[in-house]
Amino acid sequence: MPTVIFQLPDGTQRKVTAESGTALMRAAVSNGVDGIVAECGGNASCATCHVYVDEQYTERVGPPTDVEEEMLDFTAAERRPTSRLSCQVPLSDALDGLVVHVPEEQV
Amino acid sequence: MSPSVTAAPGAPVVDLDLADLRRDPYPAYAELRRTAPLAWVPSVGRHLLTRYDDIVRAEKLTEVFSSREQDSLLLRTVGPNLLREDGPEHRRLRAAAEPPTRPRQVRDLWAGAFEKNAHDQLERIAGRGEADLIADFAEPLAAANLALVLGLRNATADDVSGWSRAMMAANGNYADDPGIWLRAEEATRAIEAAVAEVAETVRREPDGSVISSMVHAADPVDLAEIQNNVKVVIGGGVNEPRDVFGVGAQALLLRPDVRERVLDEPALWKRVFEETARWVSPIGMYPRQLTEDHEIAGVTLPAGSRVALVIASGNRDDSVFERADAFDIDRPHRPHLAFGGGPHFCMGAWVARHEVSALAWPLVFSRLKGLRVDDSAEDRMEGWVFRGLTSLHVTWQSA
Ligand code: HEM
Ligand code: FES
Repeated sequence: MPTVIFQLPDGTQRKVTAESGTALMRAAVSNGVDGIVAECGGNASCATCHVYVDEQYTERVGPPTDVEEEMLDFTAAERRPTSRLSCQVPLSDALDGLVVHVPEEQV
Repeated sequence: MSPSVTAAPGAPVVDLDLADLRRDPYPAYAELRRTAPLAWVPSVGRHLLTRYDDIVRAEKLTEVFSSREQDSLLLRTVGPNLLREDGPEHRRLRAAAEPPTRPRQVRDLWAGAFEKNAHDQLERIAGRGEADLIADFAEPLAAANLALVLGLRNATADDVSGWSRAMMAANGNYADDPGIWLRAEEATRAIEAAVAEVAETVRREPDGSVISSMVHAADPVDLAEIQNNVKVVIGGGVNEPRDVFGVGAQALLLRPDVRERVLDEPALWKRVFEETARWVSPIGMYPRQLTEDHEIAGVTLPAGSRVALVIASGNRDDSVFERADAFDIDRPHRPHLAFGGGPHFCMGAWVARHEVSALAWPLVFSRLKGLRVDDSAEDRMEGWVFRGLTSLHVTWQSA
C-alpha cells in the first residue's frame, strides 16, 4: 500500500497510507487531513481539493486531466505548474512516498 | 425501502412551529445544535440534523444518506431526476448535464450574454429612481440567465420565473391544495413542450447549452429524462441567485463601511458572495433517507429514517464560524455548506457566483447613483427551506 506525505501550511506533516487505486483526495479525507475540503466529493467540480505536488514527484504523478485542467484556473490559492486536484490523482505503488503540499486556502 | 414517518427510537422530539421557522429559523437552530443536534420535528416529519460536522459527514456518506427519498413532493411534481438519484444513475445524468455550467464554460460561453442581460434588466428600471430589486431586477435576471444556460431560447424570463414559482409551490404543497397541483402541472407541461422543441433543434445544431449537452451525451439520456432535469433546474435555479443577490445587496446598503471597501476593491465581491450564502443560505435544508441503520449525533437511526440536513444551521455553527450570526466578510475562510456537498454539490455554483458577484452586484452599485434602501418600506426575510428577502425596495438619483 502506497504511503503519502501531506506537507501542511503550518509546517507540520501527515503521513497516510491507502490502497492502490484510492484517489489522493480520498486518502486525505478519510484520514482527516486538514486543508483538503473536497466539497464535491471527487467530481472535479469544486476545486477545493487542490494540492501542489512536490517537484521530485511531478513527473511520476503526471499532468492534469482534461476536466481538471479548467478547474485549476479557479482554485482559491494560486495555480502553479505543480498544481493538481487531489481527487483526480489515483494512488499506486509507483507513487509510494509521494509528497504533496497543501495550500493555505481552498475557499 | 418505504420511508419511516416517525421518530427513531431514542431521538429527542422537538416541537417547532412552522410559522416561526418561516419567520426566523435561526434561534431554533441554535437551540437544536446545543441540546438536540439530531431531533425529530413532528411538524416537519423529519429528523433535523443541525451541527456542521455531522452534516458534512452525512453529505459524504452517500451510501447511507440516500437522495432517493420516497414519496417526495419533488418526485410528484417533476418525475425522476438527478437530484433524487444516487450512484451510477446520478453520475450518468450529472455528467450529461454539467459541462455547460463548469467555470470555463461560464467564462467563455455565458459571461458576455449574462452581462447583456444584466444591463437590459437594469435599463428597464434605471430611469425610475426607485424599484423593488427582487421583483424588478434579480428575479427576471436570474430567470433570463437560466433560460440561456439551459438553451430555452423559446421561453421568456417571465415564462421561466412563472414556471419556477409554480413548481416551488407544489414542492411545498403539504396541504394538498388542488389549485397548486394544477398550476404546477401546467408549468411542467409547458416546460416539456419547450424542451422537446429545443431538443429537436440542437440535435442538428449543438449550441453548448444544458439541453444540447444532454442530447449529445456520450452515455445516452432520453427526452423524458432531459425534460425532468430541466424542470429541476428551473425549480431550483431562479430563487437562489435572486436571494443571494437580495440579501447581500441589503447587507451592503445597511453597512456603508463595507460597501465602500468593496467598491474600492472589487475582488472583495467574491467574499461578499460566499459570506452572504453562508449567513443566509438560500437553500436552508435538503432531505435524505437512510439506506441502513446508522448512528449519528448520538442517535441510531433505523433504515428508512428521513433526515433533513439543515445546512443553514451548519453555516451558523459557532464551533466553525466565530460570531456566526454576524455578516462579516473578513472572517477566516472556512468552507460553508450553502452549495451542499458530495456528488450533489450544486451544479450551478459557478453560474451563480459569476452572475451575482462578478456582474449583478458591481453593475447595480456602480450604475445606480445614491442607491439606498427605502426606509418607508418594510422588507423582510422569509422562509426556512428556502430563505431570502421577499422584497428589497430602494431609491436612487435617476437624473
Ligand atoms: C447561490 C445560488 C445557489 C445555491 C445556494 C444552490 C444550492 C444548492 C444545493 C444546496 C444543492 C444540493 C441539494 C441536495 O444535495 O439535495 C444544489 C443542487 C443543484 N443545483 Fe444549486 N444552488 C444555487 C444556484 C443554482 C443555479 C443557478 C443552478 C442552475 C444553473 C443550480 C442547479 C443545481 C442543480 C442541477 C442541482 C442538483 C445537482 C445534483 O443533484 O447533482 N443551482 N444547489
Ligand atoms: S473534490 Fe471537488 S474538485 Fe476534487
